[in-house]
Amino acid sequence: SSQQFSALTEVLFRFLTEPKEVERFLTQLSDFATMNKISLGPLKNIVKSILLVPNGALKRNLSSEQVRADFIALGLSEEKASYFAEQWKVNSPTLTRLAVGQTLMINQLIDMEWKFGVTAGSSELEKVGSIFLQLKLVIKKGSQLENVYVELTLPQFYSFLHEMERVKTSLESFS
Amino acid sequence: MAALRDGDFAALQILLKAPSKDAVRQLCQECFSSPPAALGPLAQRACPGLAVSAEEAEQLVSALHNLTRHVVYRGLTRAEDILCLFPENFHQNLKNLLTKIILENISAWRNEAQASQISLPRLVDMDWRVDIKTSSDSIVRMAVPTCLLQLKIQEDAALCGHNPVVSALTVELSKETLDTMLEGLGRIRDQLSAVANK
Repeated sequence: SSQQFSALTEVLFRFLTEPKEVERFLTQLSDFATMNKISLGPLKNIVKSILLVPNGALKRNLSSEQVRADFIALGLSEEKASYFAEQWKVNSPTLTRLAVGQTLMINQLIDMEWKFGVTAGSSELEKVGSIFLQLKLVIKKGSQLENVYVELTLPQFYSFLHEMERVKTSLESFS
Repeated sequence: MAALRDGDFAALQILLKAPSKDAVRQLCQECFSSPPAALGPLAQRACPGLAVSAEEAEQLVSALHNLTRHVVYRGLTRAEDILCLFPENFHQNLKNLLTKIILENISAWRNEAQASQISLPRLVDMDWRVDIKTSSDSIVRMAVPTCLLQLKIQEDAALCGHNPVVSALTVELSKETLDTMLEGLGRIRDQLSAVANK
């Protein structure tokens, strides 16, 4: 029935937009099965096939029209296909963002911590009074996080800041 | 950091045997720049030029090292302060020559000391490039700008001697990460201005 279909679609999209919530997805599926007196096994198979459509659509940037057409070709009623396509339209910005987020990044910068201070003296110079800046960059290498520590002088800091502002301008002009 | 010892000034008088003022100047510079471990070989090289025994050369080189480093450590910039260091019976002309040489070199030596002080690995260079990602295995068509930042980082100079190890680290930043980073850098700049204006 259409009510059951919309309930199932809701469960599916909730999973698609939050792919990490596997436990929750499985619980909701089994609740759905119990409520509608379907056995879980066949339901899971159906859901697996259904999920292929949005995943393929996402990869190929399909419009909601194309998704609807795909479902109709697969034998779904027009009403249900349109409903699904509508849901697709609503959710596609989130889904696209997720897919882009999954795209390969090399040595992604995760976090940056900093501190700056004054060097008061050293073993070679009794009185120094120079400013230093220390950065800790947290970088994702493969699946591990690595910390990189760097020290900058003041002129280097201003130069770095200036360059980063130029990068920002460049990125913005391409967005 | 080397401290001046009693025998040092006696050893310095060996310089009276030096062939020229330039030789003294050269030796002063070499003794300052040399780390304590390299003083031995330096003494051996200086030996023939001074016509002294190996032992005397070692004492001299060590003394010059201690004297020059001591002056830089204390941050002495006036001739009177340097002249004060010498004992009363020290050879007048040699004292004046050494003081003059030290004053000529003091700011270069100070910079050298500061450049070689211990620190975390230092940033020596930075390059960037902006790419547009057009496709990936998770999404076939997109236009996502991303930044690649290459930092050239030099390990602590003291550990590497004269062959510093420079490593290049390439990091990728998304636009969001860059914005957050700029926010942080902006805060640093504001705090620096606040400190500077105090």
